[in-house]
Amino acid sequence: MSYKDRRRFLWVLFLIGLALIAVVAQATTLVRLRFQDLVHYSYSIARVRCVHAESVMENGEIWTDTSFRVVSHNKGYLPEEIVVRQPGGKFQHLHSHVDGTPEFRPGEEVYLFLSAHAVGQFKIVGWAQGTFRIHRDLRSGGETVTQDSAETPVFDPASSSFTKTGVKNLSVDAFEQRVHHEMSRETE
Amino acid sequence: MSASPKENAVQTLLRQSASLAMTMFLLLWSVITAQGYAFNEIVPDVREPASVSGGSACPVPSHQLTTAAAIAFRWSTALGTNPKTILTQDQTAAGSLNEIEQVIQQSLAVWSGVSGTSLIPATFAPLARNSAANLCGSDGINSICFDQPDMAFTPGVLAFTRVITADQIGIQLGSGAPSTQIGQILDADIYFNPSDSLASFATPAALGANPKSYDLESLLTHELGHSLGFSHSAVWGAMMFPFAPAPGTFTGIRPTAQQPDAPLGDDDRTGLRVLFHDPADTLFIGSIQGRILPANLLSLPASPPGVTGIFGAHVVAVDTASGAVIAGTLGGWSCQAPGPAQFDGTYEIGALAVNHTYKIYAEPLNGAVGPSEVSNALVSLCRNSTTDPGWPPLEACVVPQPDIEFTTATRSSP
Repeated sequence: MSYKDRRRFLWVLFLIGLALIAVVAQATTLVRLRFQDLVHYSYSIARVRCVHAESVMENGEIWTDTSFRVVSHNKGYLPEEIVVRQPGGKFQHLHSHVDGTPEFRPGEEVYLFLSAHAVGQFKIVGWAQGTFRIHRDLRSGGETVTQDSAETPVFDPASSSFTKTGVKNLSVDAFEQRVHHEMSRETE
Repeated sequence: MSASPKENAVQTLLRQSASLAMTMFLLLWSVITAQGYAFNEIVPDVREPASVSGGSACPVPSHQLTTAAAIAFRWSTALGTNPKTILTQDQTAAGSLNEIEQVIQQSLAVWSGVSGTSLIPATFAPLARNSAANLCGSDGINSICFDQPDMAFTPGVLAFTRVITADQIGIQLGSGAPSTQIGQILDADIYFNPSDSLASFATPAALGANPKSYDLESLLTHELGHSLGFSHSAVWGAMMFPFAPAPGTFTGIRPTAQQPDAPLGDDDRTGLRVLFHDPADTLFIGSIQGRILPANLLSLPASPPGVTGIFGAHVVAVDTASGAVIAGTLGGWSCQAPGPAQFDGTYEIGALAVNHTYKIYAEPLNGAVGPSEVSNALVSLCRNSTTDPGWPPLEACVVPQPDIEFTTATRSSP
């Protein structure tokens, strides 16, 4: 592609972006939750390690129950192991799909913002918005945290503007400080 | 590159990423059975006889049947009042229901209004009303519910669609007919959050007066896309882009009698043509296939074994003449019967208009759309003995992590 073509393409992308940023706001299934909203709505906030997932049929619907071992918790009380229930999964020859639900792999560590569902069973507040993946840098050993919805541009009615307020590549320490800060604001 | 049936050419080189390797972007002449778009994929249960499983572990896109009146929807006229979440211009009981029903019919017509597909208006059975509350459920009947609580709702969740697909022929769900195809959608229910005091949905007629409400038509059209088999699209402006318009606004252009599919993006139309191929169509029959490969093979993941190309790249076709993004798909795999999927970097963009010239671009899913928004199109490509006890080893695979760190560069065509 010639330099002229590249410039033309970049301009097209830029103009499309300008046009669309005026309309894009929230996930189809999700409405924007600010970080303080996530903290507020959460019964518990915890760092957890995925153990395994299994699908169950209950009340005629298929759910995926993912078991997590609790590594530490920042808010609320949690037992050593919890189950997070999400819609969708596979049961016998039926596959139930619900787009927008986060997936977890055994061994993966994440911070989850949880609301209580039943004894020992939880839901993730705002689905992708309440899911924060932990990434460990193999060279430095440092850990960072990125929200599944980090790149979602959100519309702030107060300022009539769009911003990306998601958490991206934040150090674990800074992330936990932010959680504690919002929790302390809540109790004031 | 001109797209003609099964005609491809070498075009672009992409420079690879984190490891500073070069990613070579090859467009190959091939007849590989390539991956779908961002469709919800399902791997047939090859533990069952070939007569019901098809005998292949290649993923199949979820889809509806397209015979006359094959897709039937009903909607629950039970509407919440505390909070009142569905806002209409007509405040009378009958007028309000008529206005909502018009939105549903309009949204269905958006999808059946696309040319060059087998999904035509007659594919949809007449829309039915039902006054029962809690109408949605796995009963083999597609339903739309505006006032049904569901365990899946949490703060911040506006609406979702639960799509149930069978992985073999002959599966029956509730009162629905037994499946006749693998990947056939047996039930698709659309739920709108009935109890979030922060979220309300307005019909197009009522949206102007309720600027803090979400456009019911845009959200419903998007959710209906899921009910047809779509996952999310990473193309901005597509109806299946996973982010809804801001309160008080709507996606694309409102449909008209002249252009019922106006709200859709070209990417939605192309995807629909791929999913519901019209054998009589002679215009949208072009396809571009290729592979996305790292120049430095050491940059490929060591686990799971057998990954030979970039997985999870967003591959986009841009019409050279107009500059419009015509389609985008998720690249990275191919499959030839009896499977399983091979993670060799393959992509295919099908149902392209012939006699047009396209440029192909590849980008990682690290922008506005991430792997989690299209997970149903990625994580369901494989089954194995861990996910399904007794799964035959020769037809087993493990889905690798999408590569979201590669970077690309382009150079002129040779």
